[in-house]
Amino acid sequence: MAQNPFPLGKDELLKAYRTMRTIREFEERLHVDFAKGDIPGFVHLYAGEEACATGIMMHLNDNDRIASTHRGHGHCIAKGVDVHAMMAEIYGRSTGACRGKGGSMHIADLSKGMMGANGILGAGAPLICGAALAAKVRGDRGVGITFVGDGASNQGTFLESLNLAAVWNLPVVFVVENNGYAESTAMEWAVSCDSYVDRATGFGMPGVTVDGTDFFAVYEAAGEIIRRARDGGGPALLECNMVRFYGHFEGDAQTYRAKGELEAIRASRDCLTILSERVIEAGVIGRDELQAIDREVNALIEDATRAAKAAPLPTPDDLLRDVYVAY
Amino acid sequence: MAPVVGIVANPVSARDIRRVVANATSLQIADRANILLRVLAALHACGVRDVLMMPENGGIRAHVERGLMRARGSGASRGEDIYPALHTVSMPVTGTVADTHRATAEMRRAGVSALVVLGGDGTHRAVAAECGTVPIAGISTGTNNAFPEHREPTITGLATGLAVTGRVPPHIAFAANKRIDVSLVSGANGGAVTEMALVDVALVTERYIGARALWRTENFRELYVTFADPEVIGMSAIAGLLEPVDRDESGGLMVRLSPDGTCRKGITTLNAPIAPGMMARVGVTDWRRMPAGVAFVPEVTAGSVALDGERELSFTERDRLSLTLRDDAFRTVNVAAVMRHAGQNRLLTGTPVPVTSAF
Repeated sequence: MAQNPFPLGKDELLKAYRTMRTIREFEERLHVDFAKGDIPGFVHLYAGEEACATGIMMHLNDNDRIASTHRGHGHCIAKGVDVHAMMAEIYGRSTGACRGKGGSMHIADLSKGMMGANGILGAGAPLICGAALAAKVRGDRGVGITFVGDGASNQGTFLESLNLAAVWNLPVVFVVENNGYAESTAMEWAVSCDSYVDRATGFGMPGVTVDGTDFFAVYEAAGEIIRRARDGGGPALLECNMVRFYGHFEGDAQTYRAKGELEAIRASRDCLTILSERVIEAGVIGRDELQAIDREVNALIEDATRAAKAAPLPTPDDLLRDVYVAY
Repeated sequence: MAPVVGIVANPVSARDIRRVVANATSLQIADRANILLRVLAALHACGVRDVLMMPENGGIRAHVERGLMRARGSGASRGEDIYPALHTVSMPVTGTVADTHRATAEMRRAGVSALVVLGGDGTHRAVAAECGTVPIAGISTGTNNAFPEHREPTITGLATGLAVTGRVPPHIAFAANKRIDVSLVSGANGGAVTEMALVDVALVTERYIGARALWRTENFRELYVTFADPEVIGMSAIAGLLEPVDRDESGGLMVRLSPDGTCRKGITTLNAPIAPGMMARVGVTDWRRMPAGVAFVPEVTAGSVALDGERELSFTERDRLSLTLRDDAFRTVNVAAVMRHAGQNRLLTGTPVPVTSAF
């Protein structure tokens, strides 16, 4: 076996691949099952963007908090939320992560530091400022990560949170997952700043742009930014330029894309292919080892889907349960 | 024929991790556009009436056009044009370095007299790869900026305008520059990759490209520079603080760095500015001159090749790597010499001294 040239050991590389493959298979399965009409509500798939969530979350522990988006499945899986509970939640079953009442856009698991996907664009940013303030007050070296797309980056909540995090020097990382489209609107039509680094600079924090399809680029940049936040260095913004393989939502005809665009990005910018080819070429991991993971992940997703379909729906008695909390 | 000046302005330089690990500059897009407006005004003042610009989607051109429109509408120009006409190279925009390569090649074919470049060392390297004999006027808007000299862009625009309109003799107006050619032949398939660097080639042990920038000194192994300038930052600073080598002298410098990155007995310890605001101690085991035209084969057998401060290629024990410095590889506008000549000959007065009398 060749000497490992990468910044992670073999076990960690395998873990990264497994996480990315799990996200991909999870989303591919939802794509199929949604088309069959099996899934209630809306789903927004993360396929194609796996390197971003995985490269960032590899630096976090359960004490660190994340606030996700409407496109949150990848964030959940990378943060360690149980895949069975996620699938059941998306199927609206009582065994789901939120007992079937949240669905795709509201999966949360506080035990894993996952504060929730969020159907309100830009709503995660102020939430994570609160979590980061708590971590700062407690002095537990926890950090908060919030994700927005290029569209939600224009929301007032996001811009106010940049300001708040800067003036309070909070341990927050604002991740802009720039897949080029706010639903169907290309970034250059909708975002006033020309670079997210400019936007960060305007709020008095550093910004960094990386190729979000390159796991190692995300991992390395996120590592430095998270370490800085954890050490009290304050907030920063990380822009990941990435691609999504499916529409904004399932059922989106994607008429806003150029002819051949999807085929081109699937052929040249598939983050999972880029990662696997690199580790195989370096002789660190064998193709057979990755294929073994593929089989295990397929079995996991199949089992999670089967279990979700077989699980009971919430009952009318569950309607108000867990909704109100007495302090 | 009236001279046309090309402009390559990179909207994505100065965006990497050195904003976080150091305190590198984040020059905003609007600032880059303002720089261009200053350059355009200076070019027009020298008689340049047309410029050809690289298209990009980063916003620079839109800001520049807005500036031109406001100047026309504000009355500040008193009805006279104070900027050249702005044309754009017709080509698709990919948002990658390929845009710079293609735009430069198109401008060269279009017969531009000079190329004004806004970017860091990487942007200038991309232009130098395609510019042929067209001289470059560099403006630093990147991170390390060892190659483009720090100067008010208005002056760079003036010097470029004076040079391309023939008001300064070519032997004064233009300077020759060096480069290092990198050849990497794959041991796996025999395929060859050739690259180049304008300032430095660093060999580091990381064998992944990742976030590209160099800042972990413990991974530095070998360094090759075209010039060693103690007034710049980055890899060239390491060489420059050991043995300065000027831009205009033949050959460069090769430096071997301590394998474990520490400073042991018998090793020279150097405290060098390896990135903006980032001083680091590096151990140096050896350094020597790098003559032009001589192929150097590194001792390092596996790692990454960083060109002008950014990891670009990775190589293994099976691959063959060699580096050769070339003198007189491409030309730049010698801004300092042009402006001195302009002053000595009163070129910007109403009654300039005839050019012939300057000899």
